[in-house]
Parts: sequence; C-alpha cells; structure tokens
Amino acid sequence: MRPIETRYARSGDVRIAYQVVGQGSFDLVFVPGFISNLDLHWEDEGYSRLLKRLSAFSRLILFDKRGTGLSDRVDTNHLPSLETRMDDVRAVMDATGSGRAALLGASEGAPMAMLFAATYPERTRALALYGGYANFHRWVMPPERLDAFIETAETAWGTGATLPNFAPGRVDDPHFTRWWARFERLSASPTAAAALARMNAGIDVRGILPAISAPTLLIHRRNDVRVDPDASRFLVKKIPNSRLMEIPGRDHPIWTGDVDRVADLIEEFLTGERAVAEAERVLAALLATRIFDTARLGDRMWGERNLRFHETWRLLVGRHGGRSAGTHGELMVSRFDGPGRALRCAAALRNAAQEIGVASAQGVHVGEIELRGPPVGLTGRVTMQLAAHAGRGDILASRLVADLAIGSGVHFVDAGRVSFDELDEPLALVLAMSEQHLEPACHAKAKPAEPATLTTRESEVVSLIADGKSNAAIAAELSLSEHTVKRHVANILLKLDLPSRAAAAAFSARHTGPDGP
Amino acid sequence: MLTKTQAVDGAAIKKAIEGRDGKMLASFYADDAMVRVIDRNNPPSKPREIRGRAAISTFWDDICSRAMTHKVDTTIADGDNLAFTQACVYPDGTKVFCAAMLELKDGRIARQTVVQAWDE
Repeated sequence: MRPIETRYARSGDVRIAYQVVGQGSFDLVFVPGFISNLDLHWEDEGYSRLLKRLSAFSRLILFDKRGTGLSDRVDTNHLPSLETRMDDVRAVMDATGSGRAALLGASEGAPMAMLFAATYPERTRALALYGGYANFHRWVMPPERLDAFIETAETAWGTGATLPNFAPGRVDDPHFTRWWARFERLSASPTAAAALARMNAGIDVRGILPAISAPTLLIHRRNDVRVDPDASRFLVKKIPNSRLMEIPGRDHPIWTGDVDRVADLIEEFLTGERAVAEAERVLAALLATRIFDTARLGDRMWGERNLRFHETWRLLVGRHGGRSAGTHGELMVSRFDGPGRALRCAAALRNAAQEIGVASAQGVHVGEIELRGPPVGLTGRVTMQLAAHAGRGDILASRLVADLAIGSGVHFVDAGRVSFDELDEPLALVLAMSEQHLEPACHAKAKPAEPATLTTRESEVVSLIADGKSNAAIAAELSLSEHTVKRHVANILLKLDLPSRAAAAAFSARHTGPDGP
Repeated sequence: MLTKTQAVDGAAIKKAIEGRDGKMLASFYADDAMVRVIDRNNPPSKPREIRGRAAISTFWDDICSRAMTHKVDTTIADGDNLAFTQACVYPDGTKVFCAAMLELKDGRIARQTVVQAWDE
C-alpha cells in the first residue's frame, strides 16, 4: 500500500493541505475542530482508528484548516472569517473532484460544516455533527473563561497543558499526553493558537440553522467537558431534518473515548446500514497488573525489582496460557481465553510481587477485543481502570468475571459498583479471593466436623491418641504396622481439619459419647 | 417516464456512464434490482449489496457527482447477459478499474456484480 499522500488545494491565495483515503461510493469530508495535523493523526491509535473506520465505507477527505497543521499559516492580525474558512471546504472538494459529499464536522468544525450545508445544499449529501455548537460563548465558554484558556495557550503551548480542557480522562496516560503536546506544537504556533481561540469565540451560526436542508445527525457525549450537550439539544430543535444521539462519555475530541460508538452511528446514518460487527473481534479475559513501591526502596532497588517483576510477569502469563498484550504506562496488560486463567495468573502474580518485595494491584475484565493488535478498545480501557482502582494486593474484577468463573475454585466478595465515563451503567465489581481447592473456607468453618466421618479403625486410633499413646504403642495395641498408624493419623487430621495430634486428642475428649468418638 | 423506454444495451450504458448521467443509469434497473460490489472493503464472502432502485439511484448519484472521467470499453452482450469494463480517473490521477457483469430481465437490469480495484 502506498503511503497516504498529502496534497494542497488552492483556496484564494492560501494552500490547504488535504488527504484522500478510502474507496467508498460516496465522499465524506471531515471538518476538524480547533487544531489538526494531517500527518500526526495517523500516529494516535484513536484517531487512526476513527479514520480507518470512516474510510472503510466512504472516500474520506481530510484537510487542515487554514492556519493549522500542514496548511498555510494566516496573518494573525487579519484573521479569516468563518465564511472564508468554510470556502476552504469547497476548495478541497473541488480539488478532489467531489461534487457532492457528506460532511462530518467535529467540535469547531461543526459550525463550519453547518455553514457549508446552508450555503451549498446541492453539494451536501448529509451532515453529521459531533460535539458541535452554534454559539461559542453560550455553549463552550463565557468570555471570562476564554481569557484564562487563551492565557494557558499562550504561556504553556506545546506542553500539552490544554489537555485537561478537552480530555481529562486521558491526562494520566503518559503516551497520550506526549502525543497531545506534539499535537499542539505541530498543529499551530502559540500565537496562532491564541488567535484561533479568539476567532472561534466569535462563532455564531444560530441564524442559518433553519436553512440547512440536508439530513443531519447530531452526536454529543452526555458529559462532554468542552461543549455543553445543550448545544446539540438546541441544534436538533433548529435544524429541520435532524436527530440527536446522546452517548455516554466525558472526553470531547472525537478520536478519544469510545471511537467505535461514534463511527457506528455515523456509518449507520450515512449508509443506512448498521455497521457489520467485525469478524476480527473475539471474546477474551484481560488482566491489567500494576506494581508500586510501598517500602521507599530507592530508585536503584525499585528499578531492579521492577525489572524482575516484569520478567516474572511474562513467565507467569505464558505459564497460565495467556499472552502479553504490552504495557500501557505502568500497567502490564495480558489476555487469556477465559476468566479462570486470568484470575489464577493474577493470584500467582500477587504472590510473585510479595516475594519480590513490591506491592501489586490488578484488574480483570471480560469482553470483546480486537483479535489483532493491542487491546486498546473499551474492554481494555475498563480493565486498566479496574487496575487503577484496585487497592494494594487486590484483584478487582467485574461481576461478569465472577459469573463466568463459576466452578473455577476462585471465590469472590462483592466490591460495590463504580461508574466509568464510557459505560451507560455503573459496573458491578467483585474482589477475587484466594483459590480454594476444597470447599470454600466459610463453608468449612460453618460446618462442624462430623465424628461419624471417621472409620471404625480411625475412631479407635483417635481414642488411643487421646490416651496419650505414641504411634508405636498404638500399632502394637491394634496389631498394625507403625506406617499404617501414621497414615490413619494423617487421614484423621485431614478429615477433621485439625492441625496436630494434640488437637485430635482434644477433639476426641470433646466428642466422646456413648458411642465413642 | 421517457427514460424508461430507453433500451438497456452496451451503447446506452456506455453513454450514461461516460456522460455521468446518474438519472439515466438508475432508470436502467428493475425496481427490485440488486447491485453487488466487490472490492478491498467488501470481500467476496461479504460483498456490498445495494438493493432496490432507490438505493441504486443514490449509488449512481454519488458516483456521478464526482468530477472524474469514466471510459467504458469491451462491452459484450450474450442474450440477457451483458458485461463491460470501465476505467476511471480522479482529478488527482488516482485510477479505478471495474469489471461488471449484468443480468437483464424484461429489458431492465435485474442483477449486477461489480468488481473494482483502486490505485493505492
């Protein structure tokens, strides 16, 4: 496959960078939000996932708005109007030979897409708007918060400092925070970023909404941190042929969170067909393991133990029939065919961590994952969040794991419920307790040992033990070999769950009745 | 409809495709026609199926809205079966090549299978 080519369309005096991917029978133009960089998108798992999904059913046309990414810079003292920027969409469509296209506008891209749809109805096949709005100050941020945001952008641009404003759910993901910092640097200069923010603050397209005639789908995450979901509730009332799908989630960028859910909705809307479930997904149990230092080991010793644990982790995962699925920050993720194996591996890892002298915390979850590549989907993210939630030494699992692991010998105690942004309902949790090879401990304790379970010979042996006789003496009295007596004693201790001969003697004394022990 | 009386043959299809006349193309199909598309994203075991004239009409409208050139060659007719190849070029030079097999019923296209490959 040849690399994705970046080309440039001319819009007035400005060159607009664009890419075309996919072989679908209709065109889909993606109008990005605040900032973008065509090259960098493919380096983020979520972004490239979104683009691959969309380009699987369309000919997807991507571009960087003027002033951002690979497109020409603009004079920050003479910012282009929304109309000028909208005309860049037309220029890119002309360059790609697209006479009519569906438009996907995300965030700040939504007002641009709406303006295009109202201006060029004959060129708009359909409109999909994600996390969009018609008026910046009303639904994104009031003027006073905008000033603070611009100050952050101007003073700390390029460090990823704006991430909490967009995707607070990803601030603990070091890989993503590094990507976000590059995304800032490669998408706009600090001055341009501040200028773009000011320019976007002027957006108000409320007046043109009734003029949009294309079928329109609105998608908004219910707890979107950047754009108030009321923004889309307003749009659905004003755009004639529109409907709104509210989905769970908090992170705002369209390529974060449950990307597949967004792609499913767009695909169904544009093709009229529900996305075919991918055959490459399989049911699997995932285990996320993290270790941490509770003993203030010092860097060197911690480093050594950390390394040793990683080696042990690979070994134990393999030994339990699992596969290493890579590390995500401090989390080690492995996958198994069934939850029983994952749980047994988790228990072995907990013991290994104790032996090595580090603390462990683990999460186990079960769900569909991609057959190929790392489990970065929803099941993977939930598993990793479970590990993050788990306390020292805990194996925290979803209730589903416990339900599926019935008969595995592992037992569970209820651990309440926890809400995750991406899930509709709070997730019921359990803690996996140590493996019980016999009856669960609580049952064994509750049920008093029955003397009747002893054989006649064993009862005789218990009586003689109670008399304080040695194995040799008992052997002589019962005309048995000493070895046989030893076997009887061992069986008696096992059956009665007693630790010693003395305990057996005491038991005999307690249970002596008319019929003997 | 006047277009309904247009006979469906190799020459008519060539004229409509090369002229990017989506409406004319849609009129060639029976109401319950089916077009199957096999390409990279729609493999033979799961081809894309476009059923009914309305959906087929949208399909051709989408294709014909693209400012690209189509050239239909090698049309073969055999009773109620028709076959042709089609070479297409996008403005950026990207080429697409298609081979299509058609079954006619009562003078309309009842079933069509398109196999296509794109520059990539």
